[in-house]
Amino acid sequence: MANQNVRAAGSSEPPALDWMSRTLQWGTRVRPDKGGVTLGALNVGIYGDIPDEWDDMTRMPRGAFPLRGVPAIGGYTQRRKADLWADNAAELYEEAISRGWVPARDVPWDQAMPLAEDVELAMAQVCTELSQEASIETEVLSGWLQELSFGYHEIKLFLATEVFDAGRHFELFRKRALINGAGLRLESPGQVNRMLLESRAGWTETSILLHLLRGCFTQTVYRYCAAYAPTDADAFIFRGALQDKARHLAYGMQHLRYAIAHRPDFDEQVQRFMTGAELSVTRDDADPVLWEALAIVFGRGIRHMDTGMNVVSRMRQDYVRTYLDRMKWAGIDRHARLLPAFASVLGLATSAA
Amino acid sequence: MTTITNSLPALKEYGREMGYDLGWLEASPSWGQRVEPGRGGLVLDDVEGAAPEAPDESRNLTGRPRGTLARSAVPRVGNYSVRTKADIWLRNAAELYEEAQQRQWSSATDIPWERVTALPDEIERAECQLATFLTEVEFVAGDVPGRWISSVTPDYFEPRMFLISQVMDEARHLDVFRKRALVNGGGLMQRTAAAAAVTGGAIDSARDFSEMSARLHMSGEGSVLTLFRIGELMAYNDAEKQIYRLAAQDESRHVAFGVMHLQYLAQAAPDRREEIQTYLDEAERNLVTGASGQNPASTGAPSSEALAVLLGHGVDNYDEGMRLLLAARQRQVREYFQRVKVAGFGERFENGRANKMLEQYVNAA
Repeated sequence: MANQNVRAAGSSEPPALDWMSRTLQWGTRVRPDKGGVTLGALNVGIYGDIPDEWDDMTRMPRGAFPLRGVPAIGGYTQRRKADLWADNAAELYEEAISRGWVPARDVPWDQAMPLAEDVELAMAQVCTELSQEASIETEVLSGWLQELSFGYHEIKLFLATEVFDAGRHFELFRKRALINGAGLRLESPGQVNRMLLESRAGWTETSILLHLLRGCFTQTVYRYCAAYAPTDADAFIFRGALQDKARHLAYGMQHLRYAIAHRPDFDEQVQRFMTGAELSVTRDDADPVLWEALAIVFGRGIRHMDTGMNVVSRMRQDYVRTYLDRMKWAGIDRHARLLPAFASVLGLATSAA
Repeated sequence: MTTITNSLPALKEYGREMGYDLGWLEASPSWGQRVEPGRGGLVLDDVEGAAPEAPDESRNLTGRPRGTLARSAVPRVGNYSVRTKADIWLRNAAELYEEAQQRQWSSATDIPWERVTALPDEIERAECQLATFLTEVEFVAGDVPGRWISSVTPDYFEPRMFLISQVMDEARHLDVFRKRALVNGGGLMQRTAAAAAVTGGAIDSARDFSEMSARLHMSGEGSVLTLFRIGELMAYNDAEKQIYRLAAQDESRHVAFGVMHLQYLAQAAPDRREEIQTYLDEAERNLVTGASGQNPASTGAPSSEALAVLLGHGVDNYDEGMRLLLAARQRQVREYFQRVKVAGFGERFENGRANKMLEQYVNAA
């Protein structure tokens, strides 16, 4: 027997071992397949029963043997499946991990050679704003994590990968702005940032703003920057970020679709608040800095800025179309109610005010 | 067509004549200074020479990245409670973040799950009880750092980035232990019963970052790290060994963050030393009593009994398992001593302030 002092400090009683029979379902045997053992594959038997509501306000794992009288921790306010669920979250979580990449090592930085001064400064301006967007995204997401119930751990885990992706993008664009001496440039106008941080109605509402409204914009900018990248390193950077962003949007779209299907009246609520949300975008859009910087990058210099600005116009149209298409896929048709300033990008007239 | 030179002022003038604003396009004082990637690629420390250092106090309330030029008409969106460098800083956060990036792993494919084979029922139950405990508590260290990320000014982005990597690591830990519970004919077992959050003193309830870090990194994660490090002793196959090895690698970074932060704080804000000692008083009580619910080896917890069953290779050898568990607890305490000393608060072990129960553990045969 061990030293009595230590035994006294440890346990002087025979083991109770009463936990040994405390399981709600025994005999679960998930075996690896080609992709190993994935999160989604664990959803078998009671472990795959995903309730419409999860009242527990602690970190009890779904399917664990409950105990009476465990007090709430605080937070975990988003406890209805319709508040956060997306069927693709477990798959997106594993995809995020399997497609992880490392900016320090994977980007061919030696190919990010200095560009002409006007183009390099413009690229630094674009990267400064994208870095700030990513930084705000980390703040928005991480602020919500503790509000999301443990009954839906797939969502929490996927969003953890999104925080990590956004951190990677912050780092990535910061490095790109700084590598050639252009330095970080002007901060972004901030109206959409404010909207995202101040959105507290519920996770679904924030997710729509973050993933559909801002996310479609960021994705479109990444796509055009990849297509018009002035160096191989830039092409790599924007393609990598684009791949990550596609996952974030896939969650956002799927979740919105789920929420629309399961929350009565929510579609009309979305229609109402998106008008204000689009207004925030148009206020940022009135600022010329990002458009001019992109035009210089796309046109490869001030001399060809008109050509670049034509590309920017196409990009902005693509953004609005993408946003409308994805909202429609999720169950929200904004065509008839689009904010006029938004519709004008497409040359559309609307009846919305 | 106007003939123009390639100088920036001339190009800008040309652009303005074409109707563009270009007021934002100013020459950079660091123009011409290219940063070359090093052997490890282009890490944050490489490029930061070209950006301003973190200030001792931050007045950045608009969320702009450090070094970005401010605009006057931007709303103050950042409700950042952490705007003093000593409250969050450490010297190697960027390095720890880059290491976290490099050492990500996949619980789906990097664990040799096919090596998990049928175990005696009591061993499988003990494995599943321990895995249930760990899948429940690991994401404490995801939710709580998550909340602090949005409370820290982006002027201190290096520690923020590290916390982001910790959220990712803890997601993977929640996931890998859930997987372990469900791959071998077992299932999830009894949840934990910690109640500290109601009355304060819990990791969740800390209202100061350093207080949270002392509870989470120095104490909670430190005690789990010790157990991961002895994973070889309680693993029954290569898959479990690999889980503990990889989780220990992650956890080491988290604990290092806490140690290095307290070290910085001790030096930069000596007036806070006594306050930090009170957090350590608390951390020691939690380590010994298990009140925080973070230490799987704490007395009386189902996870503690499960550990004894695993270490003893069965219920029949429970006393031997308990002997090994006590040795593990002693190691937890020794490693805690070391962390506190490195952080610069080791005098508590000389002046009688440290919890006497810890001494009992350390001096036990």
